[in-house]
Amino acid sequence: MLLEARGIIMAFGAFRAVDGADLDVAEGEIIGLIGPNGAGKSTFFNCLAGDAQPTAGTIRFRGQDVTRATPEAHARLGMARSFQVPVTFEDMTVAQNVMVGAFLRHGHRAAARRVADEVLAFTGLDQLADTPARSLGTPGRKRLEIARALATEPQLLLLDEALAGLTPAEVRLAIALVRRIKARGITIVIVEHIMEVILSLAERAVVFHQGKVIAAGAPRAVVDDPAVVTAYLGHHMKRVRRGGVG
Amino acid sequence: MKQWPLVLLGFVAIAAWPLLTDDVFLQRLGALVLLAAISASAWNLIGGYAGQVSIGHSVYFGAGAYASLVLYTQLGWPPIAGAPVGMLVAMALAAVVGTPTFRLRGHYFSMATIAAAELARILVANWKLLGAAVGLMGPPVPRSVVDLSFISPVPYHYLFLAVLVVLLGLTWQMQRSRMGYYLAAIRGGDRAARSLGVPVLRYKLYALLLSAAFTSLAGSLYVVMVGFIDPDSALGILISVKMVIVAALGGSGTLFGPLIGAIILVPLEETTNAVFGGSGTGVTYIVYGAIIVLIARFRPGGVADLWRSITVRMARRAA
Ligand SMILES: Nc1ncnc2c1ncn2[C@@H]1O[C@H](COP(=O)(O)OP(=O)(O)O)[C@@H](O)[C@H]1O
Ligand SMILES: [Mg+2]
Repeated sequence: MLLEARGIIMAFGAFRAVDGADLDVAEGEIIGLIGPNGAGKSTFFNCLAGDAQPTAGTIRFRGQDVTRATPEAHARLGMARSFQVPVTFEDMTVAQNVMVGAFLRHGHRAAARRVADEVLAFTGLDQLADTPARSLGTPGRKRLEIARALATEPQLLLLDEALAGLTPAEVRLAIALVRRIKARGITIVIVEHIMEVILSLAERAVVFHQGKVIAAGAPRAVVDDPAVVTAYLGHHMKRVRRGGVG
Repeated sequence: MKQWPLVLLGFVAIAAWPLLTDDVFLQRLGALVLLAAISASAWNLIGGYAGQVSIGHSVYFGAGAYASLVLYTQLGWPPIAGAPVGMLVAMALAAVVGTPTFRLRGHYFSMATIAAAELARILVANWKLLGAAVGLMGPPVPRSVVDLSFISPVPYHYLFLAVLVVLLGLTWQMQRSRMGYYLAAIRGGDRAARSLGVPVLRYKLYALLLSAAFTSLAGSLYVVMVGFIDPDSALGILISVKMVIVAALGGSGTLFGPLIGAIILVPLEETTNAVFGGSGTGVTYIVYGAIIVLIARFRPGGVADLWRSITVRMARRAA
């Protein structure tokens, strides 16, 4: 297993945002993490990435216990992430943002620049390389966060609602990008609200509800699981079934 | 950078300045501008590039100033010989102040640095060895040329210019290296920086150590020229505030911002002092306060930013 999370609990006072969640991620797969707002998906991601220390549980990444490791140690080990609310470096250009990621494994500016250029072309941001990051809109920022994360040359990429707020056309572009990332051999865990995205991208879906994993398996099967339907999907599900899958 | 010819011209003008006038007030003004540019450029490393707004840099300035004079009064060293000692002391203090305060965010960090600096001032004001409230004097008459005690401000002008050029050269190198990118990322946001593998606390500390060392050097240069210090003139809060204002006025986090800020502020300050008499009076506070309000209200990026937007607009018009 590339990543194994066992019995993760994240408590804020008496409230458990994550309440005993498990997750196994095998090398090379795309896992879709779904669940209603407030289910604890982002908090779980923060635990996985070292951004929050879980109250209980253990996390192993590439065979190492990283439960208490810092975010920068996670990055060095090969885990990268995007944030639900993008945090780009506003004073820097798009290319410079990506270079920050590239400097993790390349000490020299020229080498970092080469990696950044490659990643910018790969993510379709090359035209915007010298644009200040602050002038990007939400879709651009989300793409930049992915590019920056890729520049750290990760083995596992955690994407937190990287497609939220995009237009249908932008969603299609983003889906294509995620597929290309996978083709590079990078394992992906993606939090997503749009069922169509999960159904078309993920090989496995994991459903969160009130901090717990209530279902896991093939996306089709999970979506049809009665527990999932009652707990979360409700009328949105019906719309998906009627409308079919993109 | 397309502006190298302009930069070169600027430095030629600065180098020529003391030769263009016989007026000692104006010659002295040049040296004071450069000294302010050194300390603000040093502050800029942590306050500008890394975005950690320290308002307690008087500690490091004072470390240099006091090291230079206490080694003279106790051991008879020429004041400039105390500069490296001051730099080491400043770096040790930086490690002590930085390690706990870097975990604080924004205003809390700034307030903690003020508290540390005030603590240092009060300690020194009660410390016999350091002259307590009275302060310390340098050599009353130069024993040899090594005392660097000159009547004319001109030698100081060139000494300070040399130090400034070295500091800005280092800063330029830093800005283009991994460290420059990492500091900019830290300024942009700790959380995102860490997710990309930036060891945030370590790089803040590197920036602070470098900053403290050069701020301390500025303190030593100050006493070499002025020959006298007391707790207010070496450790007062105005010293720290002035570094922040000079850098912010010119443009913090830019290579030449602090120098530009010094060129604007120091003449303004010296003329108001000459007119109203004495420094550190209420007038200084009023001038500083007014500048803070103006920067905050109209140009958070300082004059460098103003200049950039003007050149961009001119380029657009030309196109
Ligand atoms: N720092 C925090 N302090 C207290 N409660 C929090 C904190 N972070 C998240 N929560 C709560 O935890 C729950 C899960 O949030 P989150 O992980 O963002 O859910 P999701 O990403 O699935 O929408 C929410 O009820 C949220 O209000
Ligand atoms: Mg979320």
